[in-house]
Amino acid sequence: MIRTENLGKYYTSHSHHEVHAVRDVTITISKNSFVILKGPSGSGKTTLLNIIGTLDRPTEGRVRMCGEDITSFSDIALSRLRREKIGFIFQDFHLIPYLATWENVSYPLVPLGIDIRKRFERAKTLLEKVGLGDRLDHTPEELSGGQQQRVAIARALINNPEILIADEPTSNIDEETGEHIVEILTEQKSHGATILVATHDTRFERVADVIFRLKDGKLE
Amino acid sequence: MNKHINLLLLATENILRHKTKTVVVCLCIVAILSPFITAIAISEGIREQSLISVGESADLYLTYDEFGRNAAVPLKYLDEIKKIFGVTKAIPRIIGRGYLQNKLAVIVGIRREDIPPSVSCISGRVFEHAHEVIVGYELANHFQLHPGDQFSMRGQQRKTFTVTGLFSADSSIWGASMILMSFQDAGELFGKQDVATDIQIYTLPGHNSAIAADLYDIFQNEPYRIQDKQMIETYFKKGFMLKEGIFTALYTIAFALGIPAILVASGFGLSERRREIGIMKATGWNTLEVLELISFEQIFISLLGAVTAIVLSILWVKLFHGAFIAQFFVAEMPMLPKFTLPSRFLPLPCLLSFFFAFLLTMVGSIYSSWRASVEPPVISMK
Ligand SMILES: Nc1ncnc2c1ncn2[C@@H]1O[C@H](COP(=O)(O)OP(=O)(O)OP(=O)(O)O)[C@@H](O)[C@H]1O
Ligand SMILES: [Mg+2]
Repeated sequence: MIRTENLGKYYTSHSHHEVHAVRDVTITISKNSFVILKGPSGSGKTTLLNIIGTLDRPTEGRVRMCGEDITSFSDIALSRLRREKIGFIFQDFHLIPYLATWENVSYPLVPLGIDIRKRFERAKTLLEKVGLGDRLDHTPEELSGGQQQRVAIARALINNPEILIADEPTSNIDEETGEHIVEILTEQKSHGATILVATHDTRFERVADVIFRLKDGKLE
Repeated sequence: MNKHINLLLLATENILRHKTKTVVVCLCIVAILSPFITAIAISEGIREQSLISVGESADLYLTYDEFGRNAAVPLKYLDEIKKIFGVTKAIPRIIGRGYLQNKLAVIVGIRREDIPPSVSCISGRVFEHAHEVIVGYELANHFQLHPGDQFSMRGQQRKTFTVTGLFSADSSIWGASMILMSFQDAGELFGKQDVATDIQIYTLPGHNSAIAADLYDIFQNEPYRIQDKQMIETYFKKGFMLKEGIFTALYTIAFALGIPAILVASGFGLSERRREIGIMKATGWNTLEVLELISFEQIFISLLGAVTAIVLSILWVKLFHGAFIAQFFVAEMPMLPKFTLPSRFLPLPCLLSFFFAFLLTMVGSIYSSWRASVEPPVISMK
């Protein structure tokens, strides 16, 4: 399903020091598997997820998805891939501050030509699923970190993605809600999705099929 | 189709949501466009008026020349002029100015049968007897004059005039602050008998040069002067263009200052916008959709700005008589009396203003939006 080949991402810092955020990573993720990515802070988890999720371009190497080399995709083809296949849950949520939660969740549906009532219904169903059915009209700043995290999860699920990528989805969350999120992701897997999660949370280990460990940008 | 409707609706919502930005951009648009629209409206109005009045006016104007200025013509030649071959009509007029209390009014003395067809009484009747006058509606309004009322001109208390009617005119050359009276009365009022300030000569087409030769025979050594329609038209246009040129220069300066303002204003909140575009891209929007949304927003905001500017310009002309702008356009007229400020709001300049506003706001937003959109989302989302 997804394969990275000798993936590398380098940054040049202000002091002209080259940072190798990800180095020579070759992994294969098979369809409908639950994969978790572990590693200390700064080990390159976010960088790797961003590249796999098509949000960033690698410095070297390539990513194949369903046999296609997506590193060479055009801007428009990447948009299409994100829309049709990928749901991404960001480490820092990235909600639009002036939109109500339901609007944030259903925002990806706007350019699909889905009318406002249907968008609202879909968003409502998903928000209820993540336990925020009573917060539809709140803006992100009126929500706690954990609640914002769940809004971000609901948004990632709005297109029923085949590939769900989550960057530390339980890091801001209490025990109980964390458990709930693990459940939601597992449920997505049972519907056929491929799940890729970067996390320190040991609860994910129970449900994981594969665990990759990163250290200093390299696979251990 | 539904997609475009969604984007359109979202654009309106965004415009309403970001009120401060909307207001600031609109104000910039208004500041740039309002003087422009007002000026165009006034200049169009004047152009139209001048065409009407030139069309209505005589083919030749005959006056005397005194110290290089127009001076009165003795009436004794009138019959001879009428007899020239090719002359269809010769109308003597007295045009002068006088104060009615503290307001300067244009007084026109003309024979009853020579009143142009574009002048029509809106109440009362045309003067018939001595000391009867008809008054333009604006002047009448100002002094609350009605048919039957009597008045005297300042400094001429012995002569009392009776208002027999109020008139309006299609072309404001036969202006709204004018007093029309018989040729005789005007002569008495200005204390000059048997002269006219000018004689309007209407001719058959193609006879003007022959008529000029005949006039030369009639007047011989008298200091007379003839002006034809073209000359008046040219004079009109020349004065007009000159003043218009000054306005254009001033406007260009204002404009050069306004553009950066509008660019800055529409780039307002750009970093927030960039982040938002990054999020949109990350969640499946494509660049075209992002740009479509932004363009719709710019269309709305420029529409809003342009409409406000047009409304303001109309108020400017109608309520404030185009203050600060009118003087650039109203050129002095030698033959034709002064008139009130005409204006004309044509659809084309209004449409152009809108496009112009759109262009400006687009320049301020589309490039940066496009840049934000084609970057990898992780960079624009930061
Ligand atoms: N834009 C950037 N410019 C320079 N260096 C960067 C940039 N983004 C990430 N890095 C560096 O790349 C390395 C990997 O960062 P990354 O965010 O992928 O780590 P992480 O494993 O997600 O850490 P955490 O668990 O704290 O989220 C870090 O050393 C970081 O400093
Ligand atoms: Mg991270």
